[in-house]
Amino acid sequence: MDVLGRILLVEDDSKDVELTLTALDEYNLANEVVVATDGEQGLDYLYYRGKFMQRAAVNPAVLLLDLKLPKIDGHEILRQIKSDEKLKMIPVVVLTSSREEKDMVASYKLGVNAYVVKPVDFHEFVNAIKELGVFWAVINEPPAGSVRKH
Amino acid sequence: MNPLPLASSDSAARQSTSLLRWGFLQRYSFAVLSVAAALGAALLLNHFGFRDATVPLFIFASAISSWYGGPGAAVLAVVLSSLAFDYFFVPPLYTLYIAPSELPYFVIFALFTLLVSWFARIRHRVEEDLRNARDELESVNRELAKRTAALETSNKELEAFAYSISHDLRAPLRHVSGFAELLRSGAAPFLNEKSTRYLKVVLEEANRMGSLIDDLLAFSRIGRAEAHYSSISLQQIVQEAVGEARQDANGRNIVWRVDALPEWYGDRSMLRLVVINLISNAVKFTSTRSEPEIEIGCSERKNDQVVLFVRDNGVGFDMKYSAKLFGVFQRLHPQGAFEGTGIGLATVQRIVHRHGGRVWAEGKVEGGATFYFSLSKLTGAN
Repeated sequence: MDVLGRILLVEDDSKDVELTLTALDEYNLANEVVVATDGEQGLDYLYYRGKFMQRAAVNPAVLLLDLKLPKIDGHEILRQIKSDEKLKMIPVVVLTSSREEKDMVASYKLGVNAYVVKPVDFHEFVNAIKELGVFWAVINEPPAGSVRKH
Repeated sequence: MNPLPLASSDSAARQSTSLLRWGFLQRYSFAVLSVAAALGAALLLNHFGFRDATVPLFIFASAISSWYGGPGAAVLAVVLSSLAFDYFFVPPLYTLYIAPSELPYFVIFALFTLLVSWFARIRHRVEEDLRNARDELESVNRELAKRTAALETSNKELEAFAYSISHDLRAPLRHVSGFAELLRSGAAPFLNEKSTRYLKVVLEEANRMGSLIDDLLAFSRIGRAEAHYSSISLQQIVQEAVGEARQDANGRNIVWRVDALPEWYGDRSMLRLVVINLISNAVKFTSTRSEPEIEIGCSERKNDQVVLFVRDNGVGFDMKYSAKLFGVFQRLHPQGAFEGTGIGLATVQRIVHRHGGRVWAEGKVEGGATFYFSLSKLTGAN
């Protein structure tokens, strides 16, 4: 059986992290999630810096990205990823509370692969996260560089 | 938008022109000096044989006295000029006596001087009015620029506010809902009926607040969104909306009637929202009827205005509360009787107002309701 590529979750709100992990756990995807709690950590993971210096040299299968983040915000991370030859292939899903059109437009302009507004209803939230996890980490064929570990 | 108040004290202050800035003494001294200078110049030129310059010099002195000194100075200058002209240049010289043969010449001189001074006065007043008008315009423009800037700032603040609601208010709500749900699934075996209901209420209310926030945001977006006006077919918009409503209400035997509707000028997606809201209301409030009927038509059609209506035979409403219908989150039916947050008609009103129209309703308890909205002829510039 395939071992899933890791899911990088960049989210500063610990409660959102908990709810997201709970949702992913229903599909046994939680173990493969790496959590970065601010924008800087997210970039550290992608660039093998700081506490992620020693991590395995593989891109995440998918990046779940909040927009409003401490230090470096989601749009800036998105911009850096999509303008870096080594990283631009990573599928990025913006996972945000913001229903504002300008956030959505800005994200798509920067090349985001999907834009998901976190539903208030928990069942909807679980379903959205599950589907995201399953689609991007299981169904979707990842690009070269973020191959699944076998 | 409020009308611009024209600060009356400002415009009064601006009327202080050369006339008011000069004191009484200065104005008359100016007249005396002008005439004296003209006289001096005339005498000097006469001394060298230039006689033709005399009359124009006095006229010039009177004119500039009139221009800068006002009517009083003008009269003084004309009188002084006449006297000086008479004394020094009208034979017999060096007396104020005028020979009968010279009288017409002197009278013409005096009248001509008076006339030129009078014209100078009129011309000066016109100039002053123009200057005042220009100053006023500039001040109004400045005020307008100030207000535009203030409006832009408040729009930006409003946007930031809506953004903050969108993002920051929803997060805790999601957590309430999420963790209450987790609690329910974890503690279900240990909860009695009452506690289970409490948890259910917490969840339902969290979700309701989520809908309220979403509705409020959508409503505020309508007010801020730029409208794109074009020629549209109201008929087509209504047909599409009816088609959608039919699908949503499948299984119900609603009788639909749609009259012929005109082409109009407006924002297509916004007017679509108006029609959809009114029609879905009609569908909603006829849900208790065994033979529901919904009619959409045009009750008035003029060159510059059209009135459309959506009529149903549903539960209706008490006309006493008709003013409340279009308020944000105002409902005339108890929570739970009919679904919805109460934003629909507020949205309708906002859009119709943006189209230069108004919206009103007629109804009777258990006797159906008719919602009217008018649309004004808008031009492309709007």
